[in-house]
Amino acid sequence: MAKGLDIGTMNIICSEREEEDVVFTQQRNAFLELESSDLTKTMLDSAKVLYIEKDARTYVLGEDAFKFATIFGKEARRPMRYGIISPEEKDAIPMIKLIVERVLGEPAHRNEVLCISSPADPIDLDMNALYHKKMMEALARRMRYETHVIDEGLGVIYSELSDYNFTGLGISMGAGLTNVTLAYLATPVMSFSIGRGGDWIDEQVSITTGLSKEYVCAEKEKGFKMGMEVEYGSADGALSIYYDALMTYIIKNLNRKLAEITPPKVEFPVALAGGSSRPTGFLRMFEQKLKEAKLQIEISNIKLAKDPLYSVARGCLIAARTQEGEEIGESKTEEGAA
Amino acid sequence: MDKDTSSPGILHRGAFIYYVGSVVFAAGIALLAVGTAFVMIFRIHHGSEPEKIILCLIFTGVGTTLILTGINLMMRQTQYGYYIIGASAFISVLALLIFTSNYPHNWHYPLISYILALYVIGFLMLLGNAFANVILWMIEGTDKAVVGREGEIKLYTDEEIERDIEEATRKSIELSASKLEFKEPGVEGVRLGKVFRETRGNTSRVKDDIREAKSLRKTIRPGERMKSGSTEVEGISRSLGDILRKSAVEKGRFGRIEDKIKAEVKKFYSFIGVNRK
Repeated sequence: MAKGLDIGTMNIICSEREEEDVVFTQQRNAFLELESSDLTKTMLDSAKVLYIEKDARTYVLGEDAFKFATIFGKEARRPMRYGIISPEEKDAIPMIKLIVERVLGEPAHRNEVLCISSPADPIDLDMNALYHKKMMEALARRMRYETHVIDEGLGVIYSELSDYNFTGLGISMGAGLTNVTLAYLATPVMSFSIGRGGDWIDEQVSITTGLSKEYVCAEKEKGFKMGMEVEYGSADGALSIYYDALMTYIIKNLNRKLAEITPPKVEFPVALAGGSSRPTGFLRMFEQKLKEAKLQIEISNIKLAKDPLYSVARGCLIAARTQEGEEIGESKTEEGAA
Repeated sequence: MDKDTSSPGILHRGAFIYYVGSVVFAAGIALLAVGTAFVMIFRIHHGSEPEKIILCLIFTGVGTTLILTGINLMMRQTQYGYYIIGASAFISVLALLIFTSNYPHNWHYPLISYILALYVIGFLMLLGNAFANVILWMIEGTDKAVVGREGEIKLYTDEEIERDIEEATRKSIELSASKLEFKEPGVEGVRLGKVFRETRGNTSRVKDDIREAKSLRKTIRPGERMKSGSTEVEGISRSLGDILRKSAVEKGRFGRIEDKIKAEVKKFYSFIGVNRK
């Protein structure tokens, strides 16, 4: 049995097949340090809060970190920033390891195939994802998984574009980064990321309106609708404006990257996914902007993932099962030859 | 029309121009054939009726012009080639129009000379343009044979070179990093909370057969042998049979059209044969 793992800036999601279902296990990628005492520990245990104790300090992990951050007026710490391990967070790697271990669980057997997602190198930031990719791979290998890494955008293509022979553009709008991959028959032709995502929108709206980032994030996730009439100075209006700006920025950079390659002369469908693509009206707005942009490739149609939050994890699971199937096939061939 | 920068004097003819040229050529052949047929049918001689003479000459004159125009359109042209074709065809047709309006009541010297000269100029321009393009094409071909086949030289910009170097460097770094072994990060002395062992996180279960994995395997390895059930094989055989049947039906239709054309041509030949007697 194979597994897929989407390690995102905001969420870490594991996907695996159980009988006829796919089970997604999700955990927020955040932690909060609290004062350590026996009383705190008892309270956290009775409230069934996810926490760990290390070096006489207590760390609340996951969704509970955000809740406690609001209660204590603190800011939850994020082990990842811009889609990769945060260099400013010294406890990043141990925290990610704990969250990943919990979400992933033990392998069903030694060398169970695991496919994890990794961002592509951003084209507008001075950084690359190699260190993050290798660290995550090493963490998973330590857990006795046979680990493979694919780009997030490619995960979206695997999950959403099988009807098009895995040919098309996969765009994953996450919290830290927006990943874009162009693939032809499951082979990536172009892959890049942009250092803006849901977090950038929250930040800009927070600066503009004076509201806290957590409030803005909560408003966005509650059910914000794009393109509707909004009040002056409201968070919804500012969110619409910055979503529009982000889409324009993505499409502009996409066109710039397309000019550097010679894509095959076919029509490409577009699949959108990622937690930041969930607001109502997002697809309509993006489609409009894409049509106005006159890209260097022909776009056949644009679709939103059935479940944008789980699309990358699902794509990783598909890649892992494909890999597992190949290995089973190869081992049968070897046995037959022997 | 696209400009071919590798040969600055020659314009690329698009496929559309080629097809237009072939249609014009075919029309010219047809008109010339009809004009010739009229000459034989009407038994044109110096005493024939003016209307019959005009008809025969118009058909043959226009047919000849169209034949040469079609031939020119089917060729690669020089920078002003299409203008030459247009101008010469216009001159020829103008000559025929002047002839039509002046024969027989105003048919005398020096008008006859002028009309003939005009038509011949148009004719020779078309012929000459075609000849010149053929010679140029032959010269170009000879040059390549003499000098030797050279591959297209692509000029790379600095940005492209830099990008290729960065890509190659990145790939080599990634490959070398695969061989690194990492020590366990600092998780000594970590005590996990109760909930840690009880659940793995927020789970959500979705009915999903992820058939994409099978499609992905087929896409990545298309030549692989796959086990198929009898239903699948039957379905594929049925689709193949439909395709074969459809192409057979279409061939029948085309076959009938072909037979019809052959019958018409036979009729025409037999008609001419009767007249010859």
